[in-house]
Amino acid sequence: MSKTKWRALDHCDDTGQNDETVLQEGQQSITTQQDSFEWIIIKDSEDINVTTTDTQAAVSLELGIQVAIGVVLSIAIGSSTQADQVVQDLKQVTRNRQSNRQKTIVEQSKDVDIVTRDTDIAINLQLLIQILVAIVISLDIL
Amino acid sequence: MNDSSKQPFVPEKVVQLMVDSIFKKNGIKPEEMKRNISDEQKQMLREMVNDLRKQVDQFNKGNNDITKSSD
Repeated sequence: MSKTKWRALDHCDDTGQNDETVLQEGQQSITTQQDSFEWIIIKDSEDINVTTTDTQAAVSLELGIQVAIGVVLSIAIGSSTQADQVVQDLKQVTRNRQSNRQKTIVEQSKDVDIVTRDTDIAINLQLLIQILVAIVISLDIL
Repeated sequence: MNDSSKQPFVPEKVVQLMVDSIFKKNGIKPEEMKRNISDEQKQMLREMVNDLRKQVDQFNKGNNDITKSSD
């Protein structure tokens, strides 16, 4: 029987064909939605380490900063309609962002480290915190 | 300040200008806003902002990343 494929689970058949194969297919399109799709497919492989952005943590942090901006503005601006308008204007700057679509496929591989970062969400977080800091600086708080 | 806040994605001045222009557009004067906040509130807001800033820095450093390993 001829051996055509290296299989991770056949430990005795290690013939040294440990070519690491990491294919990445990324497509980004401009949308006003906040999309984040990440696929990591690992097939017939062993010793794979995957490190990825905790999107859940990022989203809750994002919400936290948005709430903080709202709180600062509603305290500082007496009128709630005026405060709402400012929040709306700020949202227009931060909302537009690209969607994150990543696909990582690992097949028939061994000892692979995969590190993926959702840079879109990182940029958005950074921008939001900068806006919050800019607001409190203009209020002489920081 | 640490590395990630030293190198923001958008220059700080740009954000400051943008915030100022949004205030101006809505007829809001920073001087009036300053009068609306008590010293106690200022202290609380300062702590809140610093705390959030710390969390963002930690996130940018990848401290919150999830790692999964196969056996």
